[in-house]
Amino acid sequence: MNAAQARPRTRSLLRSLLIFLSVVGPGIITANADNDVGGITTYSLAGAQFGYELLWLLIPITIALIVTQEMCARMGAITGKGLADLIRENFGVKVTFWVLLAFVLGDLGNTATEFAGVASAAPIFHSYLHVLPGWLFTDLLVALVAAGVFYTVIRGTYKIVERIFFVFCTIYLSYVASAVIVHPDWHKVVVQTLFPHFTPSKAYVLMAIAVIGTTISPWMQFYIQAAVVDKGIRADEYPYSRTDVVVGSIFTDVIAFFIIVSCAATIYVHNLHAAHPLQIQTAGDVASALQPLAGKFASLLFALGLLNAAIFTASILPLSTAYYVCEAFGFERGIDHRFREAPVFYGLYAALIAIGAGVVILPNSPLLAIIFYSQVANGVLLPVVLVLMLLLINDRRLMGTWTNGRLFNAIAWVTVVVVGALTVVSTVQQFVPQLGS
Amino acid sequence: MAFHEGFVSQLIGKPVTVDGLRIGTVADFLVGETDQPFPSVDGIVVKAARERRLAPIETVAEIADDGTIVLTTTPKEPAPPDDRALYLVSDFLDKQIVDVDGRRVVRINDIELARAGGKLRVVAADVGVAGLLRRLGFARLGARLTPRLLRRVPRAIIAWSSVAPIRETNPSHVRLSVTHNKLARLHPAELAEIVGDLSAHEAAAMVRQLDDELAADTLEHLDPDTQKTLIEELGTERAADIIEEMDADDAADLLSELSEEQRRELLAEMNQYTAGELRELVKYAEDTAGGLMTTDYTWIYPHRTAEATIRKIREIAPTSEFIYYLYVVDRDDRLLGVLTLRDLLLAPPEATIEQIMKTDLVTVSPATPAKDVAATIVRYDLLAVPVVADDGRMLGIVTVDDAIDAILPPDIARELPRITARTRRRLGEVVPS
Repeated sequence: MNAAQARPRTRSLLRSLLIFLSVVGPGIITANADNDVGGITTYSLAGAQFGYELLWLLIPITIALIVTQEMCARMGAITGKGLADLIRENFGVKVTFWVLLAFVLGDLGNTATEFAGVASAAPIFHSYLHVLPGWLFTDLLVALVAAGVFYTVIRGTYKIVERIFFVFCTIYLSYVASAVIVHPDWHKVVVQTLFPHFTPSKAYVLMAIAVIGTTISPWMQFYIQAAVVDKGIRADEYPYSRTDVVVGSIFTDVIAFFIIVSCAATIYVHNLHAAHPLQIQTAGDVASALQPLAGKFASLLFALGLLNAAIFTASILPLSTAYYVCEAFGFERGIDHRFREAPVFYGLYAALIAIGAGVVILPNSPLLAIIFYSQVANGVLLPVVLVLMLLLINDRRLMGTWTNGRLFNAIAWVTVVVVGALTVVSTVQQFVPQLGS
Repeated sequence: MAFHEGFVSQLIGKPVTVDGLRIGTVADFLVGETDQPFPSVDGIVVKAARERRLAPIETVAEIADDGTIVLTTTPKEPAPPDDRALYLVSDFLDKQIVDVDGRRVVRINDIELARAGGKLRVVAADVGVAGLLRRLGFARLGARLTPRLLRRVPRAIIAWSSVAPIRETNPSHVRLSVTHNKLARLHPAELAEIVGDLSAHEAAAMVRQLDDELAADTLEHLDPDTQKTLIEELGTERAADIIEEMDADDAADLLSELSEEQRRELLAEMNQYTAGELRELVKYAEDTAGGLMTTDYTWIYPHRTAEATIRKIREIAPTSEFIYYLYVVDRDDRLLGVLTLRDLLLAPPEATIEQIMKTDLVTVSPATPAKDVAATIVRYDLLAVPVVADDGRMLGIVTVDDAIDAILPPDIARELPRITARTRRRLGEVVPS
């Protein structure tokens, strides 16, 4: 830190601006659900800890992402039903119950992660505002976000908020251009992207798995299918929808690519030569680390980006979780029903937010345990969901002529086996040591 | 037969025996008398060595307390394929249905059977938590919890007479007649609300079961976005049939929301007269008299007698929405005068229309702004105002309710009957797009 602060301030305003955009952007530009707090954190850490070494991984990840998302989008378009719906109608109550139980647990952890993101961004704001004691400021911010999210969604003004997010996002589209300004070693970037590089260390493998895990998650499968169904996309319109999925998946990973490059070109490069390497564990740490490297403004905006992503996903995740569960079990759902009419829907929605924010606010709360069990739930759920997806999409009664082709099936099964196996490995490995400590 | 009442979930997977020998397990139930409020169970589908065999209900000797089914003879016939018969498990269990009395969409967790009138019948659908728990194997927990915790959950058991499938589940040869279509018991506004709870595919599947007229009324209660999706889902042919049945102004509004190509295809499918009318209406801007008007008004000729005119109206009124004002036109559609239904009824039978009509006309032109149309209607205390072209030809009428709709602030208009518009919009906001 000292070394960095001592550096002469010779940068022009424009240059600083572009640099802050380059390193700050991730959460905001990908205001789609895929790059939430977990995503930002993982990509940043991958860049900060391993430089460009994990870039190659994004190519197979993109293919896997396209394959899985495309299947769900296709099922949505052809059957007109959500994934939870199809699972219920084709595999019965028991399978549905356990899948959705794991789903709710997993999303509870995800929701808690979003609120933890708010908490880790809070100290940055506090360092500018200097009001209230730090811990109280953090807790109040988390509580405020939780209450805000709950109120906004229930009041049905979510659309407005979404537009604000979206406008906010577009600022960060310049992120790609500005990644150029931090002067990454392009030769190295290209080589590392195209030629797989493998370091047989435990840390490297775990990071690789984490990157895969954050990109392909169970709830995304439910989410994209619901989106397609909700838009009323029909079979004859589906080819456009497929292009949409492919472009979206590539876009998501292009952003991830530039997040990794930017963090690699700043934090990783700094750490290589620094006497005191920066210790990065959360997205909040990244924001703090940027302060000396890319300026105060960059740090503040990174924190803002994180907050934005957290609020965005915290608005969507609990609501869609409650929705899919109620859909599968036939409870009344949707925010145009009164609480009395749809107690399960509202109860689940409120519980997810309350517990998610509660464990972040309450001292000595089981935040780690919740995230742990939710990761386990996600880890177990993902391979199961992927297998169910493959069974459903190859069912002629459901899909008619829209089942998978032979080649596509081969790619899909490989994806399922690899992703499934990696998630199981990560679930076991990542958390066993932590539990012991 | 010890079995008097019970749930399908308690029988599925239970052994089936003949002469004490186990020949397979219970897989499904064949349903008959589908036009009855409580259809009969006509057979049991037995899964034996990968094959599905049908055991006619007459061969069932006993259903034991533990669910074991004892047959008199081994079933020989294979069970008919799914598209030619109605089955409880594959067509209903775990599927979404419309609870016609509760006016909502629910999912069937379990199905109750009972012996009535000498037959085993389907009596109710369990859509509650107790049914779920029973299916999950926690029946005892469910029984204990239900009375206490879930007492407030309304209508967990739905009588089969108010269960309406969303999709047409009836095999083609036993298609239900209109009178037996349970969905027809619902008001179009309620149907529209249910459409809001369904995905586009399912909504279309439900609307397909309705007759054109009810479908048209339902469509009129939906917001433009949902109408549009539904029309696209239904396919040109059926959509055209339904739009033909809609009020002309609503139909024109809907058509104007669609693409040029879709509009052309739909109009080509309709009968020429309606299509011509709608083509005219679509041309006008939405917030003018032309855009608000309907061509569905009642016109009469000046030289007829009151008596003949009343006879004529009796003939056409059933298909006409607005008959309170009668517009007197000549052979070139030029508007000559107007009289109310009351004027006509009180007139001497032999008087000609010319003699009793009012000729001091209040009219608007097709380009008159909606606000002015409403003002005119209010000022003269009218139920409708005629829209007349520059050359004096009568084009249509704007009714008072359409005029009010057009000038209400959007936030109030939104609170009015089109609840489904809100449902749809909000769902679109919170579930991703």
